[in-house]
Amino acid sequence: MEDAIEQQPSTELTQVPISTTNPTTQINTLEGWIEQLSQCKPLSEESVKQLCAMAVEVVKDEQNVQPVQVPVTICGDIHGQFHDLMELFKIGGPCPDTNYLFMGDYVDRGYYSVETVSFLVAMKVRYPKRITILRGNHESRQITQVYGFYDECFRKYGSANVWKTFTDLFDYFPITALVENSIFCLHGGLSPMIETIDQVRELNRFQEVPHEGPMCDLLWSDPDDRGGWGISPRGAGFTFGQDISEQFNHTNGLSLTARAHQLVMDGYSWSHQDLVVTIFSAPNYCYRCGNQAAIMEVDENHNRDFLQYDPSVRPGEPTVTRKTPDYFL
Amino acid sequence: MTEDKQKHIYFKPEKRLRSPDDLTRFQKSETYEEILNFIQTLATSVHGLELGDPSLPQDGPIADVIAALNRISDIIEKHPVTKDTTSRFGKLEFRDFYDDLSEHITGILHDTLKLNVKEKSNNNDKGDNSSDPVIELETYLLNSFGDRTRIDYGSGHELNFASFLLCLYKLDYFPSETYNKSIVLVIFDKYMKIMRTLQTKYWLEPAGSHGVWGLDDYHFLPFLFGAAQLSPMKRPRPLTIHNKDYVEEFKGKFFYFGCIDFINQVKTGTESLRWHSPMLDDISGVKTWSKIEEGMIKMYKAEVLGKLPVVQHFMFGSLLKCPDGVEQHHSHGGEGEDDCCHEIHSTWGDCCGIKVPSAVAASLAEKNKYHIPFD
Repeated sequence: MEDAIEQQPSTELTQVPISTTNPTTQINTLEGWIEQLSQCKPLSEESVKQLCAMAVEVVKDEQNVQPVQVPVTICGDIHGQFHDLMELFKIGGPCPDTNYLFMGDYVDRGYYSVETVSFLVAMKVRYPKRITILRGNHESRQITQVYGFYDECFRKYGSANVWKTFTDLFDYFPITALVENSIFCLHGGLSPMIETIDQVRELNRFQEVPHEGPMCDLLWSDPDDRGGWGISPRGAGFTFGQDISEQFNHTNGLSLTARAHQLVMDGYSWSHQDLVVTIFSAPNYCYRCGNQAAIMEVDENHNRDFLQYDPSVRPGEPTVTRKTPDYFL
Repeated sequence: MTEDKQKHIYFKPEKRLRSPDDLTRFQKSETYEEILNFIQTLATSVHGLELGDPSLPQDGPIADVIAALNRISDIIEKHPVTKDTTSRFGKLEFRDFYDDLSEHITGILHDTLKLNVKEKSNNNDKGDNSSDPVIELETYLLNSFGDRTRIDYGSGHELNFASFLLCLYKLDYFPSETYNKSIVLVIFDKYMKIMRTLQTKYWLEPAGSHGVWGLDDYHFLPFLFGAAQLSPMKRPRPLTIHNKDYVEEFKGKFFYFGCIDFINQVKTGTESLRWHSPMLDDISGVKTWSKIEEGMIKMYKAEVLGKLPVVQHFMFGSLLKCPDGVEQHHSHGGEGEDDCCHEIHSTWGDCCGIKVPSAVAASLAEKNKYHIPFD
């Protein structure tokens, strides 16, 4: 990992002045940000820079396969549905009373990607041992330029600075987690180039999500009814069959692979005879899918329980004022 | 196109654009200009016209294309949704519809379009359809209804339908400019009805959706054509899209309101368009429809024709030619979506099964760096 860290993308984030000498001040600042964000009010550009600089320090030392203890509540895609994230914490219990593991895709498509990812990152910095945030395929420069987060940052801040600050931070997010050496958690799925969890530990994750290779696959692959490896219709990652899951779970002594990445109507869905579970935590995805959302609680005795929830009620109207897009000026 | 149609060689269009350089070449190409001019010509032709306007020609080629689309509607009817949904969101029966259409589309177009190609292809072997433009028309048309594997649909598929129409246009299929308005308000209207059926019946996922930050989950052109319809008009004003009564009154007359009505129907969990469609909300603040029409054309150039994730799927044939300088490519594993097209490229079709020289493989790998995956 020493070499890997030397290859970290250059960033001005760590040079942002923030009181690191006085923890009380820092916690007060953080508490203030969390309070503001919990009301769905975005931070200033300067605060986002400070927050992300602090977050880099926290997540860069986490492992590619970040160890997590039970009890923990495991969550899937959020996609900027801020009000539903608040609902999630109501259903699952407030953080830090409940430990959380999020498996990526905080941004894109929803109205409040900025507020959502700011909130989760602030919680991560405030309670680093209580919440784990993995990287999803949408935590990427290229994907966010296509699917909405870039547009949202530009619309809300008038420039791409906040988008750049966050996407620079995403390079440091851990890519997988391992709950008590038993449940392997990641955003997408398995890779034909990865047979053991140790091989994940050897990857250099500090980079933009590549277009191919093991790191790409872990964030992009999907389980499939067909056996073996298949070409993914997504154009990245692979599909993997039950035989692959059996082999992987067996080789690595796992009871389960938990992943997100796919919309499922009940919020969770088993595949490969309960070797793989998909968890999706954005209810009524994009205001149109009518799906339930779910999170998976794993208790001290490793018992699993799914909690499902429906969309939260949206307040009357967005507070953002109308602004003519450039094309129409 | 008119000179020497007998000698014109038609072939199955295929995807060619891979890299940002390819995109730049495309944006400077004749094909790009033709697509854009075609769309602008169509838009201008419907200024001030409502759907169902009595002046719209409905005869001849218009009736024939509608007959083809009616046959496609009949195929949809044959494939009801019967199975429970699987891991994918979309309904798997879409693939049955698609396969059925794929099997019959050549026959449907031969039956309905009356292109008179038979006599010109008399001395060809039965496998050779190089004198039959249907090979190109059917490729665009088949790909107008969504992606079979992903069960999704987006503005790239819509662009294929525009390309199908453009190919007919270039073949001088429509006898005069008077028919342009019917291409939009009769044929494209029928296409929209088919798409709404497919989207709602098979739960097509929005391809490459920007979520709330896009113009729409599925479509672009009905907003462009819709703004063009309203362009010379002072009433209804753009802001009236927020008023349900106005939407109800105008949804059958103007594409733009029809789209708003569809969004209102499918989007749940909020009453306000402002939540799920902030882009349309922002646009509704523009004073005039003519400004919106102008903006839609600018936006179409930038967000559809100017985006590699969309046009990497655009197919080029003999009618819509691939820009000069775009390299021929061939996929060897790792990428599933570009099928090997042996039947067309006999000069290099045999590269499947033999090893690719490493320099070629390296340049392919280099090119593939730019391939943009789907969500």
